[in-house]
Amino acid sequence: MSEREGNSLSFKLVYYGPAQSGKTTNLLRLHDQLSPELKGELMSMETKDDRTLFFDLLPLGFRAPSGLLIKFRLFTVPGQIAHDGTRKAVLSRADGVVFVADSDRSQETNNAESFQSLTDNCRRVGLDFEHLPLVVQFNKRDLPNAVPEAEIRARWSAAPWPLVLATALRGEGVGESFAALLLAVYERHAAAQELATVHGLAAAAFVAGALGQG
Amino acid sequence: MSELAFDRQWRLDELLDAAALERIGPALAELFGGEVGILDAEGGLLWGHAPDAAERRLPLILELEAIGYLASGTAAQPALHGGRELLIAILRAQVRYKMAATLHVEAVAEDYESLQRSHARLLESEARYRKLAGELEIRVKSQLLELEERQQMLYQAEKLASVGQLAAGMAHEINNPLGFIGSNLSTFKSYLEKFAALKGRLAHAENAWRELDLDFILADGFDLLTDSASGIERIARLVADLKSFSNVDRASEEYADLNTCLQHVASVMSSQLPPTIKLSLELGPLPKLVCLPGHLNQLFFNVMRNAVQAIQDAGRPGEVRVSSGRVDGGIEIRIADDGKGMSREQREHAFEPFFTTRGVGAGAGLGLSTARNIVLAHSGRIDIASTAGVGTTVRLFFPTAQ
Ligand SMILES: Nc1nc2c(ncn2[C@@H]2O[C@H](COP(=O)(O)OP(=O)(O)OP(=O)(O)O)[C@@H](O)[C@H]2O)c(=O)[nH]1
Ligand SMILES: [Mg+2]
Repeated sequence: MSEREGNSLSFKLVYYGPAQSGKTTNLLRLHDQLSPELKGELMSMETKDDRTLFFDLLPLGFRAPSGLLIKFRLFTVPGQIAHDGTRKAVLSRADGVVFVADSDRSQETNNAESFQSLTDNCRRVGLDFEHLPLVVQFNKRDLPNAVPEAEIRARWSAAPWPLVLATALRGEGVGESFAALLLAVYERHAAAQELATVHGLAAAAFVAGALGQG
Repeated sequence: MSELAFDRQWRLDELLDAAALERIGPALAELFGGEVGILDAEGGLLWGHAPDAAERRLPLILELEAIGYLASGTAAQPALHGGRELLIAILRAQVRYKMAATLHVEAVAEDYESLQRSHARLLESEARYRKLAGELEIRVKSQLLELEERQQMLYQAEKLASVGQLAAGMAHEINNPLGFIGSNLSTFKSYLEKFAALKGRLAHAENAWRELDLDFILADGFDLLTDSASGIERIARLVADLKSFSNVDRASEEYADLNTCLQHVASVMSSQLPPTIKLSLELGPLPKLVCLPGHLNQLFFNVMRNAVQAIQDAGRPGEVRVSSGRVDGGIEIRIADDGKGMSREQREHAFEPFFTTRGVGAGAGLGLSTARNIVLAHSGRIDIASTAGVGTTVRLFFPTAQ
């Protein structure tokens, strides 16, 4: 949950999805692409053969006109089925989620199961899934047997979440996904945290601050 | 929760406990030429001595913000910066370890929780199976009940069948005397016509008497009347036996002498017997028995009828011997015939409904099975000793109250 500590406000954002869908790659590219006022190092906790065992963590931050420090801590969960306990623990206290799906036709079942596990785990760790800021990213658009865009859009047309197509490997759609999530997080928290009123932060400035385009 | 969470903002004093400070502090002091101070985020001193000058105080940043400061009044700037990098490297390793360890504990707790959830699901499905098993038991019971009902219906059907057979036998028996009584009466009518003719010829009485053969007619007339009277008596007796036999439906228990039952049935039976078959009774004195006499009559009738048919099937003259007597704990009744006997296979199946040794149509094949049900209802026993070609003995035992 967003945390106010002294003169700072911290958001926990989690990249969730099936194994090998490109969650870690998203964070790697964001680390390269973004230039906010404050940017920490990407911390990768234990990987084995390129697969996340615990989590990755990328800290970003900027100061609002009021002087309030806004911090974002981006986490990835391990996608492998076996690490469900860790996945749940990392998901705990999330303020927003990017669901990274794999566009590969053969991964459709894994995507569906992982999305199901996201909703189940949200319930178990006490997150209100219905009001959770969420962005759905279909990654690996560059794959030859990627499910066609029209088909994906048709299938997700009834869903309330922003849908972003990405090729994280080439850095495409990564910033867009993050920006979409920032917007949803702002909408959810702006009023309670008095972002616009007290801290002089409109939605666009909030997103721009985090991306470093201010 | 967030106090213990792996993703909390770790404080410097959590990452460097007293023992760690004890090791790192002196080493840094050595590097810095004497003086070192380690301060937390709020500027509180954790170790050593810190100068007031701001340029001698470097922030320790792991993510975005300083979680503490490293200070020295004696160190050259390059040494101070180098020492800061060293300390940050140590803190990074420390924070990785702390996060991993705490996350591990959280993950294990989550795994344990999901284990408990699947355990609960298992219990739930076990309960479901238990319920199912209970329902099955109830269904089996209700089906058993249905079977029993059907058995009861079969028994009723068999009862009707044997009552019908009895009625047919009775009709035949009653027809016999009725036949000769009818014929006697019509002969007697022609005799009376002769007496009427005599009236016109009374003048020649002597001759007419002779010509009309009235001496014979008188004698035969008396014979016919005696004969008819005995026929009527036989009909009356048959009807009386029939009445006592048809008590089957009076299902209340009575205190009865089984010998009386046997005598009734034997007398019904003997009226149907062909001349080549003898029925003999050797009845010993019996204590009275609380029983359903109607049902027992039915039972004795079935067994005796089987005996008679076994003799008929053998195609030779024979005898059915019915005996009764007291034995240890109760009453024993034997019904023995010297008829066709049963094979071993027939004996094994004898008590099954629908099993019959006779051709289809001659009997429903329910005789012995019904007999056994009646015996069991009286807490008795029935067994069969039989040798093919020699004969069969059915032994019935009824316990008497102590
Ligand atoms: N073709 C293609 N490959 C990609 C893309 N994004 C990531 N990958 C590759 O997919 C593999 C997995 O990427 P990761 O970012 O490690 O996946 P992850 O979701 O963190 O995987 P886990 O940590 O096991 O859950 C790597 O070999 C990436 O190079 C993409 O857009 N296109
Ligand atoms: Mg990963």
